[in-house]
Amino acid sequence: MTANTTVVPARGLAQAPATTAELRAMLPLVQVRDLKVEYNAADGLVLDGVDLDLFPGEMVALLGSSGSGKSTLMRTLTGFAPITSGTVRAAGYDVANLRRGELRSLRASAGQVFQQFNLIGRLSVLTNVLTGGLHDAGPYNLIGGFRSEQRKRALELLDRVGIAHKAKDEARSLSGGQQQRVAIARALMQQPKLILADEPVASLDPQLSDSVLELLRSIAREDGIPVLVSLHVLPLALRHSDRIVGLKHGRMLVSAPTEGIDPRSLDVLYDGEEAGDVYDA
Amino acid sequence: MSTTLEPKKSQKELDPEARRQLEQAFAVPRTRFMLGGVLAVVFLLWSFQGVGFNFAKLGEGTVNMGAFLARLFPPDFSKLGLIVELLIETVQMAIVGTVLGSVLSLFIAFAAASTLSPKWIYYPARWTMNVIRAVPDLVFALMFVSAVGLGPFAGILAMTLGSLGSIGKIYAEAMESVDTGPMVAMRSVGASHRQVIQYGVLPQAAPLLVSYTLLLFEGNVRGATILGLVGAGGIGLELTTAMRMYDYGHLSAIIICIILVVTVIDQGSAFIRRRIT
Repeated sequence: MTANTTVVPARGLAQAPATTAELRAMLPLVQVRDLKVEYNAADGLVLDGVDLDLFPGEMVALLGSSGSGKSTLMRTLTGFAPITSGTVRAAGYDVANLRRGELRSLRASAGQVFQQFNLIGRLSVLTNVLTGGLHDAGPYNLIGGFRSEQRKRALELLDRVGIAHKAKDEARSLSGGQQQRVAIARALMQQPKLILADEPVASLDPQLSDSVLELLRSIAREDGIPVLVSLHVLPLALRHSDRIVGLKHGRMLVSAPTEGIDPRSLDVLYDGEEAGDVYDA
Repeated sequence: MSTTLEPKKSQKELDPEARRQLEQAFAVPRTRFMLGGVLAVVFLLWSFQGVGFNFAKLGEGTVNMGAFLARLFPPDFSKLGLIVELLIETVQMAIVGTVLGSVLSLFIAFAAASTLSPKWIYYPARWTMNVIRAVPDLVFALMFVSAVGLGPFAGILAMTLGSLGSIGKIYAEAMESVDTGPMVAMRSVGASHRQVIQYGVLPQAAPLLVSYTLLLFEGNVRGATILGLVGAGGIGLELTTAMRMYDYGHLSAIIICIILVVTVIDQGSAFIRRRIT
């Protein structure tokens, strides 16, 4: 940074930061600029000029109808989707230019939560959480073991998500809400710098949806990491996010703080036939 | 709230002709299905004719079959000690052959699973298994008998190689059929390829792998009996000798003992399969 450079307060802060911690909190952990993604020429651009910043401690809801590019945007952040042009920086990595080892390190630092939980059903809840630490499991893992400090941490995380009493049970024996909590604990086991949750409550009933999203929001605040969560139900986004980002046909049409947003202004994200569905909480 | 079966204006409608066909009680089979059926029948008749299958001849031969079976009774258990000893050797051959065969098959299956390996590994692995599968175990047994001499060691080597072709393919297909969700999750946490297999694939495929391994073991016990015919150890040699010497009582005792052992093993593995699936 040159002497002439001034720090522009981000996120609407009135004054420049006083401490390093404040400065760090203002720097985005994810920075996407003019991102274009095309899987094949026939289908055209799936993402078209997307800009996105994710800051520590915020929960950002990603809205849009099916095929709007939500999942693709999430996949580009961890190198699972091709970047046709533009830049994607996540957790300190330039995602477009990573070698295999760096890509694994990026993925290890980005916790992911999936719609179908993606747990290993026949293994215990504890082992499922431990798999979040595979990147750092060391030589024990060659014969399926994990270090005792990893086991201790996994149990603490199960305490945090409220299902430590199920630690020895097979993951497949748990209810949907409990399985998603295990998946969140697995993501936390990675000691992530950010969390990406792709439709994490689409398979859950409204009550469980609220509790899972509240858990994710508390993680964002307490751990000071950004959580990007794609949602299909608008009231859930309004209740549980700090900021709403909206995609339609691969273009970002909305990016605004949730507080004070007019829900009707989000109708632009949905085609007429889907607009009614998104209000069903 | 009223419900209506009228389609929405914006909804695409089903073609009326397609709707009429779908509403029929019995669907007219597709042309390719009917052609396939006719071809299958033609091939079946051609095969029957080619092998000289003849029900009349079977009827005429029933008398001879009855006479052969009658000679098997009463069984002669005077050499029971020898039979038990050889049966134990047969089962030992099957155990060693199954363990070696399944471990090697597991490795070749990783290479032959399209979801786990790149094409340049996948195709050679599949071709290797196809070649091995095309060669009868007896040929492998003859090859190993000439290499390491008569005895169970040659049989075990033949069994191990034969297992690669059969069970390796089935293992690979079991691995291909697992839910990809856990594999995606493992890649997402930054797991290595080995860890993706260890946690994303094997726990899901384990019940099928164990089940197929038990089937392989059952098959190897029966196979070990056959391998003995070419001097590759086990009870097969004693069985052949009894047949050549027209020692029907002894032959009958051997067959009864084999049936007992195979039944016990089948029941045991069926029990284990029930427990793990």
